[in-house]
Amino acid sequence: MRDPLPDHGEELIHLMHDSEARSDVPADSVTQHFAAVSAGTVKAKKKGLTIGAWIAVGWMTLLILAAILAPVLPIPDPINDANPLKAAQGPTLNHIFGLDGNGRDVFSRIIWGARNSLFIAFAAVITGFIIGGALGLISGYFKGRVGGVLGALTDILLAFPQLVLALAVVSFLGRTVFNVTMALAIVSIPILARITRASTLSWSERDFVTAARAQGAGHIRTMLREILPNVLPAMLSIALLGIAVAIVAEASLSLVGAGVKPDVTTWGNVIFSGQAYLREAPSMVLFPSMVIFFTVYALNYLGDVLRATFDVRESAL
Amino acid sequence: MLRTFTLKFLRLVLVVLVVTFITFGLTKLQPGDPVSKIIPFGTAQQKAALTQDLGLNEPVYQQYGKWLGNFLQGDFGKYYDSKQSVNTVIKTSLPVSLELMLYAQFFALLIAIPLGVTTAYRAGSKYDRGANATMFALLALPNFVVALLLAIYVGAKWQLLPTQSNVIPFPLNPLDNWTYMLMPVVALTLGQIAVYMRLLRSDMIATLQEDFITTAKAKGIPTRRILWRHALRPSSLTLLTVAGLNVGALIGGAIVVENVFGVPGLGKRITEAILAKQYPALQSYVAIIAILYVTVNFAIDILYSVLDPRIRNARSVA
Repeated sequence: MRDPLPDHGEELIHLMHDSEARSDVPADSVTQHFAAVSAGTVKAKKKGLTIGAWIAVGWMTLLILAAILAPVLPIPDPINDANPLKAAQGPTLNHIFGLDGNGRDVFSRIIWGARNSLFIAFAAVITGFIIGGALGLISGYFKGRVGGVLGALTDILLAFPQLVLALAVVSFLGRTVFNVTMALAIVSIPILARITRASTLSWSERDFVTAARAQGAGHIRTMLREILPNVLPAMLSIALLGIAVAIVAEASLSLVGAGVKPDVTTWGNVIFSGQAYLREAPSMVLFPSMVIFFTVYALNYLGDVLRATFDVRESAL
Repeated sequence: MLRTFTLKFLRLVLVVLVVTFITFGLTKLQPGDPVSKIIPFGTAQQKAALTQDLGLNEPVYQQYGKWLGNFLQGDFGKYYDSKQSVNTVIKTSLPVSLELMLYAQFFALLIAIPLGVTTAYRAGSKYDRGANATMFALLALPNFVVALLLAIYVGAKWQLLPTQSNVIPFPLNPLDNWTYMLMPVVALTLGQIAVYMRLLRSDMIATLQEDFITTAKAKGIPTRRILWRHALRPSSLTLLTVAGLNVGALIGGAIVVENVFGVPGLGKRITEAILAKQYPALQSYVAIIAILYVTVNFAIDILYSVLDPRIRNARSVA
């Protein structure tokens, strides 16, 4: 029960707690967070990155560099350098990850696969980030009817089982890189819209936003200059997880035979082509699976670090 | 209470309508004429007849209305080449997928709940950190990787279990059913354990700091009873919500796992329908999945207020 006549002290306390009070989150999430900090799950703010984070950053840098430099690296062509006589060979000194069913170098295919798979995942999440972010920002800022309609829209998109949605989009529109990217973007839009909306809802109630409005800042300026910078960390941490999800989704689509066409080398297609050789050459499946595992792990880890650093609450997702 | 219920129900109906309509629209968006895809070498006359037969020359909303009418009456359409009824396919494949998902959900919770409760109680200990690290790694392990690993080692190398499933209905022969279901279930369960355990753990840690727990301790109630009776119930709300929302991920996972192991469930049928461009059948499959998903979440919303009486009114505002 609130005191009907708040004295100055209570107002102060209220102000202090304002940063934690969020209309969209049940009150105990704050307690939860502090409890998690004291229990050591969520690290209290610390300067610099841990060793784990550096390893994750290192892995991602290595991967992205390899993907960008794939055409100039001294590796065989992933499609044309086939040697059918040595099909489905295990790892050797010349081919450290072995050869696939057509005698193509699996290591080279993984690097070229990184080029396509990472492109698809990043492009999809960046698209989702921009569209979903804009939708979330608008629906969180204009609470009334606009927010309601946009919120309901996101809920409807979220109600679609994601893989089924992506499957449907790709199969109806065609198995091209562009369509797979768009399908995964459509899947990531509502997720990013939701987190941005939740975060915007709480930030737009803050005093500095009111102050900006009072000084004559327009809606767009307030949204972009006052609210967006505060919402961004939450969006970024979800986007990192989103890239991991998109990588897995691309591979899943290929595995059920509805991803990018097999003549484009993606991680999913590399695994898919190895599926027929599980007994003879499990390396064809094991190595790309391991690379996907490390990448997803690294992205999850970095997402977690970002979330802990910027204090994003999980219950708001 | 009744008002909340009605509102939520209306929303459920709306979501299903929009989802099915979008799917319907998507089938129309595809490049090319569907009839030439079904009978690429048919004469113009045959094509015209098929167009007429499928009702493709009517406006989209009319086609949708027709499909919806049939669907509501329990007629899910048929495959256009074999003329096989979608109803019979659903009758045989849906139970298989449901069995797979129920097992996965059940075992995930069965393992995650004790883990979550005990790690929360001993938060910060070696046991807790070890369990957390393991779970974090599991989280990064896509279910197709688990499925393929199982297929390679348990299936192909050691030949302990059959890789290509031919699922035998449970009531007929439980043992055979289990040998075929075990690997798909494990592949689907592992990732879920991690999600649930991490969630329950952080909720439990918060609950354990509440005053009523201190009171219970002061009264001399044994720790075990406090953990399982007093703390678990208020901590399980988020878990329940996520378990509901997770049905979407579970459906996606089931599609992949069913394809890897050749389990003849709905997920396998959906990919087959997609590859064979069986749009009327696909339309009904997607609708059934959407209904399944939305209904589960509706049920959980209702359950919510049973578990925590405080929510009964508070949530009607949200």
